[in-house]
Amino acid sequence: MKPAPFDYYAPESLADAIALLAKFDDEGVEAKILAGGQSLMPMLSLRVARPEVLVDLRKLAELHYIRDEGDTIAIGSMTSKRAAEESALIRERQPLFHDATMNIGHLPIRAHGTVGGSFAHADPAAEYPAAAIALDMQMKAVGPDGARVIGARDFFVTYLTTDLAATEVLTEVRMPVLAPGTGWSFREISRRKGDFALAGAAVLLSLAGGRISDSRVVVFAVNATAVRLPAAEQVLRGQAPGEALFREAGLAGAAEIEEPIADVHASADFRRHLVSVVVARGLAEAQSRARG
Amino acid sequence: MTNAIPTSFDALPTTQRRFIGREVDRIEDRSLVTGHAPFIDNFTLPDMLHCAILRSPHPHARIVGIDTSRAEALPGVAAVLTGEDMQRWCNPTATAPEGWGPYSLAVGKARFVGEPVAAVAATSRYIAEDACELIDVEYELLPPVADATTALDLATPLLFEENGSNLIVGRNFVWGDVEGVFAAADRVFNAKFRWNRVGANPTETFGCVCQWDLIEDRLTCHGSYQTPSFMGLGRAHVLRLPANRINIVSHPQGGGFGGKGGPRGTDIASLLSRKSGGRPVKYIEDRVEYLLAGGGQSWDRYYEAWLAVRADGTVTGLRVQLLDDQGAGAEGYGTISVAKPLAAFTGCYRIEAAEYDVKVVCTNRAPSYPYRGYGPPPHNLVLESMMDLAARELGVDPAEFRRRNYIRPEQFPYTIPSGNEYDSGNYEATLDKALELAGYAELRAQQQRARAEGRLVGIGIASTIEPGVFDWNAYATVGVPGVGVPEGISIGINLLGEITARVGFNLQGQGQYTVVAQLLADWFGVEMGAVRVVYTDTDHAPPHFGQGGSRLGVSISGAALGACQRITVKLRRAASVLLQAPFEQVELMDGVLRVKDMPQAQIPLAQVVGAMLARSDLLPEGMQPDASATSVWTAPGRTAPDEMGRCKSYLTAANACHVVLVEVDADTGKTEILKYVIADDCGTRLNPSNVEGMIQGGVAQGVGAALLEQYVYTDEAQPLVSTFMDYLVPTINEVPMTQKAALVTPSPFAPLGAKGCGEGAIHTTPAVLIAAINDALSPLGVQVRETPASPHRVWSLIRSARGDRASV
Amino acid sequence: MAQLHRVRLTVNGREYEREVEPRMTLVDFLRHELGLTGTHVGCEHGVCGACTIIKNGQAVRACLMLAVQADGAELRTVEGLAGADGLHPVQQAFIEKHGLQCGFCTPGFLMSTVELLEGTTSPGEEQIREAIGGNICRCTGYQSILESVELAAQKMRAGQGS
Repeated sequence: MKPAPFDYYAPESLADAIALLAKFDDEGVEAKILAGGQSLMPMLSLRVARPEVLVDLRKLAELHYIRDEGDTIAIGSMTSKRAAEESALIRERQPLFHDATMNIGHLPIRAHGTVGGSFAHADPAAEYPAAAIALDMQMKAVGPDGARVIGARDFFVTYLTTDLAATEVLTEVRMPVLAPGTGWSFREISRRKGDFALAGAAVLLSLAGGRISDSRVVVFAVNATAVRLPAAEQVLRGQAPGEALFREAGLAGAAEIEEPIADVHASADFRRHLVSVVVARGLAEAQSRARG
Repeated sequence: MTNAIPTSFDALPTTQRRFIGREVDRIEDRSLVTGHAPFIDNFTLPDMLHCAILRSPHPHARIVGIDTSRAEALPGVAAVLTGEDMQRWCNPTATAPEGWGPYSLAVGKARFVGEPVAAVAATSRYIAEDACELIDVEYELLPPVADATTALDLATPLLFEENGSNLIVGRNFVWGDVEGVFAAADRVFNAKFRWNRVGANPTETFGCVCQWDLIEDRLTCHGSYQTPSFMGLGRAHVLRLPANRINIVSHPQGGGFGGKGGPRGTDIASLLSRKSGGRPVKYIEDRVEYLLAGGGQSWDRYYEAWLAVRADGTVTGLRVQLLDDQGAGAEGYGTISVAKPLAAFTGCYRIEAAEYDVKVVCTNRAPSYPYRGYGPPPHNLVLESMMDLAARELGVDPAEFRRRNYIRPEQFPYTIPSGNEYDSGNYEATLDKALELAGYAELRAQQQRARAEGRLVGIGIASTIEPGVFDWNAYATVGVPGVGVPEGISIGINLLGEITARVGFNLQGQGQYTVVAQLLADWFGVEMGAVRVVYTDTDHAPPHFGQGGSRLGVSISGAALGACQRITVKLRRAASVLLQAPFEQVELMDGVLRVKDMPQAQIPLAQVVGAMLARSDLLPEGMQPDASATSVWTAPGRTAPDEMGRCKSYLTAANACHVVLVEVDADTGKTEILKYVIADDCGTRLNPSNVEGMIQGGVAQGVGAALLEQYVYTDEAQPLVSTFMDYLVPTINEVPMTQKAALVTPSPFAPLGAKGCGEGAIHTTPAVLIAAINDALSPLGVQVRETPASPHRVWSLIRSARGDRASV
Repeated sequence: MAQLHRVRLTVNGREYEREVEPRMTLVDFLRHELGLTGTHVGCEHGVCGACTIIKNGQAVRACLMLAVQADGAELRTVEGLAGADGLHPVQQAFIEKHGLQCGFCTPGFLMSTVELLEGTTSPGEEQIREAIGGNICRCTGYQSILESVELAAQKMRAGQGS
């Protein structure tokens, strides 16, 4: 279990990194960005990932930050998950993202894994993509032609694939702070604590006059990417919250999942069922936190 | 001198027992907590090469050709090994029964995914792995034998064509009037079970450093070996060397719990050393290799059982049919795990007749190896589930049902139908202690309240026997010859009264070195710090076996006591001259040699030894200046098996009762353990904290087997589990913190009355957790009969019970 | 072979400099290049926690990192715990509470525990579980480990070594 050989570069600036990526792209050399490496390293050691070159972003101090921009929180892509976990700003103003962070692996993984790395790796069972879709987060990428901002809906393309070009670096992720009174939940069902989820849900719920005025239901670990469940949201709209309604929403959401993932831990059927459960539970938790 | 080995602390020559039987810090620990213990991967030799192994990606395939030229050309590669070398230099591995062993690298065909096909020695592991990728193997795929249930079909291909069948062992054991008791029974209960593969998974995988001395034709193998002498004998057979030319040097092991893949890895590294001109070769199995092929897989079983019960609740007969999947042959001695249940076939109960119908087959899964307990955990799941089934059907509380059927205290020693003799016990007292600790009545009330709320809460009770101190005779039924397993120690006292004990096994975690030091310190009246326990390799060690079969704590105590007795006789002879008293009048007590009737006439131990070693002029005529002794212990009174496999096999029978409370989440199928209590009677406890650690560790592995762990294979015999992402070992968040109570019914036969205690909890935990889940599910009318009780499996049962009402 | 890269770092207060292949993992670097074999390798894919070390003040997995990524880092390993005055209180606590059997996973547990207790003097059980929840022990069943960490916290509060 030792990685196959590769060349290694640790550019000193973002511009250098992009220039390097562009050069390798031109030369037809397969280069891969190394952020924290917590997902990439096992793939290298198992030799299922065999890049010719690794471009390590660890020296880019400019990508380490968590910034309060009023209604928005901006996180530099090389910020560690542990830094995100320990940020009072995130915990207080966007608790869904905080809870998503707490569900990621174990503490030492979060210490070295980066926020941006999770977004760019786009594992179907990863927490951040679900949070990103739930929160309509925006991803900032910089490439040879400059910067662009990609919405979460467009960013996650499919299994381990994002909209990022081979020459682009994800530099920042941006999220709105939680609107006052909005209830939230981020939870997952897994075999052991810290394992990849069998099914997970990120949920937002707003109440007005005792009825559900708005909701957002996103599930992950069941398809190639995290998916929003409009059918579940539809069931909730305008209704008085309650356990029966949440179950119904869960079932409606689960029913619209196409071909859930099957693996040694859960069949497609079971995963679909767990979606209904985790959505219902998430909604109940979100309701308990919602005001209005 | 033929002093009997003492069976209680009272016989120790001390009036103030300070160490043995008490909680003391382990002498092993300083090197372990500082990272200084010489685990095998910390060991290097000059000019050492590193081995990587190319493994078969196919479950069953003919090897048409292997081209190693590209690998050999890679800079840094010193040697490449293939099946051709095996045929030239080796024998296939020895097995029990004979004839089911492959070569250490596949010859002719590969029989499971992960089977070694070729190997490389290079200057680094990285380069060795690069080279493996450059070996071209042409395979011709053969249809696989994917599952035991089809292994014996006539149309099924054969793994070992020369044997004419995939049946390794087929036996029908009948003990007592089975037909009679079943005919006379008021009720007969029947159920089928499936126990899926689990395995040891110590945190350290196997590793070795082997060097073939081409000049002297000798082989030295350093490695994480738990049974060094046995390993040496096996290598001698395979590598065609005299066994006394192979030195096995065991290193501390990062856990054992059964086979660590040692034989093949050792053979391959040894032959690579031979092929590279005698340079030392290190092989460290990685986790993927371990999970695929490293001796970590055990107990792949289909069971059907029948229990005969009289109207008054007396269980009279047990029939068990077992179809056991050994995987690709018998190289791992996994067959033994089918024989071991004979040592406690009918558990804690007075069951007068029993039948065991066994079919052990081979398939294209990975070969089966030993795992902690070596067979009884699945058997106990079957037996205890059958007891629960009968109790539930008869409307009797499961605690009460067990109580009615226990072997009673006055019946010991008690011979069970399958032939073994239980030394002692008080099973009802153990049950009562567990029920008391659990607050059983309150638990039942709690369960009633929970059920009223629609929650699935269940209580499990399991009572088991842990056969301890194994003997070869227990395994005669699968072709292992012999009676008696030696464990030796050499003890010497130096001029300054300091003691060195040399043993043939290295550290593995159970704390036996500490037990030896405790015992010697009390025997000779010195501080534990004055005792050193030293590992010696097979070139130097007294006869030994090492860890295995819940025996080493007891066996090494027996050996140590024997050596102490012999040294004491020498000390008394010398002291009788120094004290001018008759030999019979001189005794060792509290670290001095003294005259029995005149205790003020005494000499400290160190002075006596000093005189022995430095003043031979004072010694009695013919006495050697030697304060040392070697003693080898084996369980007394063992017998050869009869035609039905009946014999006195395991010396001790420990007993435990576990009571647990669980809640099953009906929506997710997940089981949460709410309460877990244990009453355990393993006789005298030589070091109570060691015992508690053995119990709690066994619980953790039992939780894994019951709820989390499984080696999953496809219908084509492809393994789906090759990382720790898929093989789910329990973490702190899955293992219950248990409440434990100790009962002490000493063994009348074993040294100091201590019983084997390393495996009791894994014998019990899977059974009790499944029992609790079944109790929780009983209102739904479904029962778990397959392990692990994973969320998926339990949810499927719940869904079937609810008639598919909500399909999602 | 890929081009070698220079790695300079500090381990347990001592500076090291080596030229390594970029593909070398940090745990292999520590063990085989620097001879610091107290950090163990259990799975090489980040699940078991045996290789846990402290990098720049935080517990991390040394198998999930390349040596080149640790260039300039300050590392602590199990070898750095005991000093001239004897064992670290965390080591002492593990001995006293029998928080180890085979001891192979122990260095990882110790480093996770040290990081925890240097940050908080009175951790609750949940905090302890969070800190060591990613470390696998196959021997002890964790009960004595939990007790060891609690005792270690007590010892460190009392400011006592051994």
